Amino acid sequence: MRLCVRRCLCAFLGVLAFRACSAETTSQIPVKATVDFTRDIRPILSEKCFYCHGPDASKRQAGLRLDSSEGAYAAYDNGRAVVPGKPDKSEVVTRILSQNPADQMPPPKSNRTLSSAEIELLRQWIADGAKYAGHWAFEPLRQAEPPAAKSGAWARNPIDRFVLARLEKEGLSPSPETPRETLLRRVTLDLTGLPPTPAEVDAFIADAGADSYGKAVDRLLASPAFGERMAWDWLDAARYADSNGYQGDNERTMWPWRDWVVRAFNSNLPFDQFTVWQLAGDQLPNATVEQKMATGFCRNHMINGEGGRIAEENRIEYVFDQIETLGTVWLGMTFNCCRCHDHKYDQLTRRDYYGLFAFFNQTQVDGGGGDPQTKPNLELPNDEQKTQLAKLDDEVQTGAEDLDYQEDSFFPRDFGKSAADSPAAAKLPDKVKNALKKSAVSRNRNDLAEIEKEVAKPNPEHAKLLKAQIAVVDKRDAVSKAIPRVMIMEDMAKPRKTFMLEKGLYDKPRDEVTASVPAVLPALPKGAAINRLSLARWVVAPENPLPARVTVNRFWQQFFGIGLVKTPEDFGTQSEFPPHRDLLNWLAAEFVRSGWDVKALCRQIVTSAAYRQSSKVSPALRERDPENRLMARGPRFRMPAWMIRDQALAASGLLVAKIGGPAVKPYQPPGVWEEATFGNKRYSQDKDDALHRRSLYTFWRRIIGPTEFFDSATRQTCTVKQLRTNSPMHALTTLNDVTFVEASRVLAERILTSASSAPDARIEFAVRCVMVRKPSPEEKTVLLGSLERLRKEFAADPVSAKKYLQNGEFKRNDKLDPVEHAAYAAVCLLILNLDEALTKE
Amino acid sequence: MDPRIDFGNNIPRREFFGRSATGIGVAALASLLGGDGRVMADDKAGAALGALPGLPHFAPKAKRVIYLFQSGAPTHPDIFDYKPKLKELHGTPMPDSYLGTKRFSSMTGNPKGKVALGPIEPFKQYGQSGAWVSDLMPHTAQVVDELCFIKSMHTDAVNHAPAVNFLLSGAQIPGRPSMGAWLTYGLGSTSANLPAFVVMTSVSKGTTCGQIFYDFYWGSGFLPSRFQGVKLRGGGDPVLYLNNPDGMSSTMRRGLLDDIAKLNEIKLKEYGDPEIATRIAQYEMAFKMQTSVPELSDISKEPKEVLDMYGPQVKERGTFAYNCLMARRLAERGVRFIQVMHAGWDQHNSLTTELYTQCKDTDQPSAALVKDLKARGLLDDTLVIWGGEFGRTPFIQGSLDDRKRWGRDHHPYAFTVWMAGGGVKRGITYGESDDLAMNVARDPVHVHDFQATLLHLLGIDHERLTYRFQGRQFRLTDVFGKAVTQVVA
Repeated sequence: MRLCVRRCLCAFLGVLAFRACSAETTSQIPVKATVDFTRDIRPILSEKCFYCHGPDASKRQAGLRLDSSEGAYAAYDNGRAVVPGKPDKSEVVTRILSQNPADQMPPPKSNRTLSSAEIELLRQWIADGAKYAGHWAFEPLRQAEPPAAKSGAWARNPIDRFVLARLEKEGLSPSPETPRETLLRRVTLDLTGLPPTPAEVDAFIADAGADSYGKAVDRLLASPAFGERMAWDWLDAARYADSNGYQGDNERTMWPWRDWVVRAFNSNLPFDQFTVWQLAGDQLPNATVEQKMATGFCRNHMINGEGGRIAEENRIEYVFDQIETLGTVWLGMTFNCCRCHDHKYDQLTRRDYYGLFAFFNQTQVDGGGGDPQTKPNLELPNDEQKTQLAKLDDEVQTGAEDLDYQEDSFFPRDFGKSAADSPAAAKLPDKVKNALKKSAVSRNRNDLAEIEKEVAKPNPEHAKLLKAQIAVVDKRDAVSKAIPRVMIMEDMAKPRKTFMLEKGLYDKPRDEVTASVPAVLPALPKGAAINRLSLARWVVAPENPLPARVTVNRFWQQFFGIGLVKTPEDFGTQSEFPPHRDLLNWLAAEFVRSGWDVKALCRQIVTSAAYRQSSKVSPALRERDPENRLMARGPRFRMPAWMIRDQALAASGLLVAKIGGPAVKPYQPPGVWEEATFGNKRYSQDKDDALHRRSLYTFWRRIIGPTEFFDSATRQTCTVKQLRTNSPMHALTTLNDVTFVEASRVLAERILTSASSAPDARIEFAVRCVMVRKPSPEEKTVLLGSLERLRKEFAADPVSAKKYLQNGEFKRNDKLDPVEHAAYAAVCLLILNLDEALTKE
Repeated sequence: MDPRIDFGNNIPRREFFGRSATGIGVAALASLLGGDGRVMADDKAGAALGALPGLPHFAPKAKRVIYLFQSGAPTHPDIFDYKPKLKELHGTPMPDSYLGTKRFSSMTGNPKGKVALGPIEPFKQYGQSGAWVSDLMPHTAQVVDELCFIKSMHTDAVNHAPAVNFLLSGAQIPGRPSMGAWLTYGLGSTSANLPAFVVMTSVSKGTTCGQIFYDFYWGSGFLPSRFQGVKLRGGGDPVLYLNNPDGMSSTMRRGLLDDIAKLNEIKLKEYGDPEIATRIAQYEMAFKMQTSVPELSDISKEPKEVLDMYGPQVKERGTFAYNCLMARRLAERGVRFIQVMHAGWDQHNSLTTELYTQCKDTDQPSAALVKDLKARGLLDDTLVIWGGEFGRTPFIQGSLDDRKRWGRDHHPYAFTVWMAGGGVKRGITYGESDDLAMNVARDPVHVHDFQATLLHLLGIDHERLTYRFQGRQFRLTDVFGKAVTQVVA
């Protein structure tokens, strides 16, 4: 048999076309002394060959697989694909070099042609013995010794030794430390999502102690704002929202879960426990309310209440979402491919997928309807609600007893029979009879109303009692309805069977499967119960090579703007070989060794010399390392939109620091919800303090998220990669959204009332409130020029000045001169819109 | 080039690496080049701003698209897909041979025994092409010789949101880029001061439509978010946050922006971060949009006969007629992908009531748009598409006795769309459903084929417009699709 028959080529014609090279994952930093399979060869094989000669057995052509040495070395009729040490005898090389389109591999039509450099690498690899190695991300974690660098004095901690060693190898040197004000702003934004206050800046500058920075970091880590900042990215990953999504988009009450996330970060709950609680807290022995509530993570998925939907189809989609979220968040694996077929690139099979599916396939959720509090759920009344409810339950009980007693005479009947069986009820409609069958205490409002309607005329006395009971039941129901209910995980007593679904279709069940973990990863411990708890513990077991790497990478991304692995959602063989693999491995191992201590990890990163560098970049360095993967400079990138808003609120002094509670509805342009839902959902903006809470608490309607948070995750499905674009729409938001106009007005008020009356001192104060540092003389000149011009413009049009000051609901200090105030307010808006203000520098 | 900005060597590479534009970003670059808001005189050879290298793959027939998306699923047996036999069988059970073991919406459940429902209004033939059109669509009937009907469309989804998403993004679940995002990603922009991808929505007054337009219908999925559609709103500011705050004049804003630019330039010199250069340009573009969008929306200079052609609702923001006129104005100004979404086609129980309103509101403006584009010479390179996410069952939903509540359920197995202009053959019908409008009988066109065809008309090989995400190359047509070249002129 030929290595690959013609029919294989034909099959190829219809499949995916690939561009040879892509900006998305191609590392531009070549360092190649010897050929390394993991770094150099697997990416080529994966991209060019695995689609037809990889792990997916159903698509495999000519029976050849190149993802394992056994497959590659195996004998075929006319040779072997790979003959170690002999590139010229290897069919792989012959085929790649072939000029005959019928023989050439990859087939010319596939657009997967190899570059000459890639061919040379392959030849070299085969000549060197064609050694296969496991994919780096699946290798067990080992804590290697950080490398020694020549100019070791720069290094403040082990991170820096990795960074420096690489820089030295590249002939680069690190940047100087960034000025102290910039550093404090950077780290305060990173750890709390807020800018430092001028007082904090002064204290920091004044503290000449050797460890003043370390102390500042500790202060920030201990701040309650730390949990709020860290929660944001977790909420993106957890696709947290305050409504179901889809048609109807009913409001849900998952916010107690969100508050738990904040508390968990603040109390530094070790990340392994953080994980176990969220995946299986309900199954922990003597599970606490918090542990059960944590499983709300799994239930944050969208719920489809569209009429005509098939319940089982919905239910299956919810479970898909749960395991794919697990795959992305903890394993960095793209599981969704395996709904339908074995993974094309990674060693994941459909069976693996449905094996995981079986763990989550066990709740009572049936997929029907759009109840935003679908059971299993956890009722979380506050103390007041508890008291009210107890009182009203008593009243309902008392009323019901009275009713039962009286109905004995209204509907006389034999002992043991219900009122419905009474001859007096014989002629009543069925609906009423059904209601009468129930004891009074178990009748709901509708039951009571049905009876009341029927007996009102013949028996006003009975009707009176019923009316009174309806009133009490209404009150109780209203209180009960206001109680938040967090949807949680809880398995049914009788397990549901799980089947592999053909093409992922709910109505095409095929082989039955039992719960299992992917074969390519370590097995479940022997004798472990087959349930979510075992799965959760397996996820964070030290033997599992992925979660620590994936988690550390996400935190790194938070601070540096780009992960050590650029694709935080994918650590599979199609991901890039990370330029700093050893650093990632070291950090991950250290994270596990520390007991999954998140605060310690953050501390380690932000106290490194690498993090503390200036973010200035020379043209040469920018050309050399545009994405700053080598870290010869500090991070500089536009802040997320929510942080830009929080910064404006904090700088102006508007920010209300209250933690937690139901979501709030701050400013939003009129008509946004209405237009999206044809008037079904109306936005009713909150007042007062609720306008100025942290962005974390802004109500998130899933079908149309808050409009001011540009570039945000949609919260529809799990998102772990930060989006960052630069568009005119963003400029319009920060220039015109009332949030920023109001914040700048209040900031102006702050500087007009608390700083000296000299314009340049006032301008300086405004700049410091936002950007922490003082403006340069050149900048001051521009800003004073702005102020002067705006003063003139507003003085010429005092009506406009007054109008301008009416933007936003926060009450203005009427004692201030409107023209002066408006001019400063506009300058403050200018400052809030500067690149540096929008950027974590 | 704007004299106030010296970009020197500050060419951003981070996000724009590998793109053919000098790298400042589509909109930003556009703003630097100026332009008067009209189609640029010369965008041959894909000289559009920010096109990917090598795109278009071959000479395009169409340069832009207006997609009149009829959401809710228009009832093909009642408006365009004429089946005399359906009329004959009216009131009798659908033959089993047509139903097979097909899956329907849970509202229909098992289709066995459902009775056929003939078209509710008569059909007539029109034009040289002799196309059959229902009396419900008299204006469309007048332009049939410009149209190419595809009567053999079929899809995989049976419910609205997944089906709309499937048509617009190639996947039933949210998360993939929409067509407009793919096109602007690949082809760049030909508009100097308007976004390349614009969306408008409307619903007929008085319909009980429960459909919602999710923003992922024009989302950018995993593509950078600057490729997502910009919504022109039906009320309030036409673009979110477009207007200056109360009390701030345009002069003040201009001065403010000039100072922001000055200070950002100082920063750029000091820090060398190319993102700063992009930001300067984007702030400038924002200012331009503040002028160009009101100019776009000002229809006071439209001649009366043009306005009349679009019908009585044309001046009313948020109507389909207004949006069709805007679509033409956007096309004139070089906007690449114009997605006009109209809801209310979900006639489960309103074929004899709301369907009439629905047709009335959409028929005239759709036909007017085709005529108007043609009159201006824009139809040749503007592809107009009219159609929904699936069809409706040839059998009845509801009771035959209750004519007021006649309806048809969701039907993915055959439906009709039409295209016009943009290099499509005029006055033809491609494909055919069976004699009960139930299944495709000839030349099936799957959603992915349809998408491949659309890309083909724009000069794109659908297999070669890809983006790498989660370790694999994604494309609009997933791993399927074949361009239907038979409809290409």
